[in-house]
Order: sequence, then structure tokens, then C-alpha cells
Amino acid sequence: MLAREDHYLVARAVSSQDTAAFGELIRRHQSQVRNFLRKLTGGSLDEADDLAQECFLHAWNKLHSYTGRGSFIGWLLKVAYTTFLQSKRKSKRYAEVLDEVGRVADLQSTGYTPDSNEVSDLDKLMAVLTQDERAVMIMSYACGLSHREISEATGQPVGTIKSIIYRSKEKIRTSFDIKDHQHG
Amino acid sequence: MTSKIINMAEKLKDSEDRYLESVFQAEPIADDGFSGQVVARIRRRLWLRRLALPAAMLLGGAIAVKPASQLLSAVAKLLTATPAEVLESSVDRLPQLQGVSISGSVVQFVVFGALLLAAAVIGSRMLSD
Repeated sequence: MLAREDHYLVARAVSSQDTAAFGELIRRHQSQVRNFLRKLTGGSLDEADDLAQECFLHAWNKLHSYTGRGSFIGWLLKVAYTTFLQSKRKSKRYAEVLDEVGRVADLQSTGYTPDSNEVSDLDKLMAVLTQDERAVMIMSYACGLSHREISEATGQPVGTIKSIIYRSKEKIRTSFDIKDHQHG
Repeated sequence: MTSKIINMAEKLKDSEDRYLESVFQAEPIADDGFSGQVVARIRRRLWLRRLALPAAMLLGGAIAVKPASQLLSAVAKLLTATPAEVLESSVDRLPQLQGVSISGSVVQFVVFGALLLAAAVIGSRMLSD
């Protein structure tokens, strides 16, 4: 039902350049897109919201290319991820985030366990993952996208997505010594 | 039926998946004027884009009016001077020209139209690019 309404709003926005219809699409999906970008940028709210605005502007310009085959949120997250990658190439801030992440990883390996206030569980998990793994894991566990939707969003085959998730879980398991029964 | 499938999928999730979901879980973010800001930016861009063509035409016209009029008068002089000397002598070779008389104002009109058409075609191609 929601997907059908999304398709209807997209059709209205494309056919008559209806900004009100696009505004409704933004209202429906802004939370997921902003959360996705906040996690990717390491919790930087301002940076993530700037990227989210850029993402929706790109989405408006490319809306005609959305064929309606997959879910609209999947397509939107693809635009968001591309926007993030483009900005990362330009921005020096990303280097700083990487440094921070690297420092967290170093603290983990030296046995130092910082306060839960200093570094969240999510930051710790993200520190051991590569950028692509982070994006896939966020899409899967934070945004609730299916493997097929993630495959469409990242442009990688479903099999690759499954192995990325498997590999990421394996990394998290070995890095944090997580056993199934501990979190059951 | 659908709920059974959902339950089945839920059962297939192991405790590790549930743990990861709890870590990755985030509170929904309130719109708080976010969508309004984006829509305002889009409308501003649309408005600028719509304004760009008439503004460019006005500016281009203002710049080009003097040289264009000089060019037109020069071409018109050349064309009105040409038929009397050239066309009559070439009627034997081009019988289609017999009876055709070209006045200065018609020539000016045709040249100006051709220039305008060329400018419109080039302008529209540049805009679509």
C-alpha cells in the first residue's frame, strides 16, 4: 500500500514537476535517509543532514530514472550512498572520521574499554568494518532492507550482499568475542 | 498467511541478528521543517532555471542589437545591390529566377528570421545540454 502511494507520488512529481508530491515523499522517507547517513558519517548530525538535503536534491533531478521496479526507499538509499561517496572524495572531514575510527579500533586492540558514553556499541562495531560493509550492514539492520533491495541500492549481486553480511558478522564476532547465547 | 510467513522469517533470525538489530536500531527522526527546507531549495532552483532563459535572451539581445543591426544593414545593402547586376545576367543559366524581384525589406526580414531561427536552435540545444 505504501509502495503504491510512493509510486503514485513519484509519477505526479515527474509528470508535472509537482514539488508538493515530492515534499510528501521526503516527509515519508527523511527519517530513514537521515539515520542511514548519520550512521555512515559516524554520528555527525550536521554533516549527515547536509548530505540528506543534497541527496534529496539529487533524487529530484534523477527522479525520472526511477523505474518503479524496486522499492522507492531502496532507490533513495542508493542516491544517499552515492551522495555520501561523492562528498567523501571531496571532504577532508572524512579523513578525520577515519582517524577517529582508527583510534577507537586501536583502543579496542590494546584492551582499553572506554566508557559507554564515550563510544557507543555501534561505533565499536563500525570500527572493524570497511566502508562498503558498513553501508550494507546499516541498510540491512538499521533500515530493514531485504537482500534484494540492498543489491539494487548498491548495484551488487544478491550473492555478494549475502557474503558481505556474513563476513561483517564474522568480523564483529571475532573482534568482540560475541557468542550467540550472550544476546539471546 | 502473511503473518505466518513473517513469523517464520522471525524464527529464522538468530540471536546474533536480534542483537545487531538492537545495536543498529535508531529512533525515528522528526521532520521539523526538513522537508520544507528541501522543497524550498528545489522551488528556488526551478524558479532560477525558468528565469535563466528569458534573462539570457534579454542580455544577449541587448548586447547583440547594435552589431546585429549593422550586420543586417550591410547584408541588405549587399543583397539589394546584387540582383540588378548579377541576377539579370544569370537568368539564362537559372530560368527559375526569371520574374523574381527581391526588395530590400523582404531580404532584411528573411535574413533576420534566419538569424533568429539559428539563435533559437543553438540556444535550445545549449539549454538542453
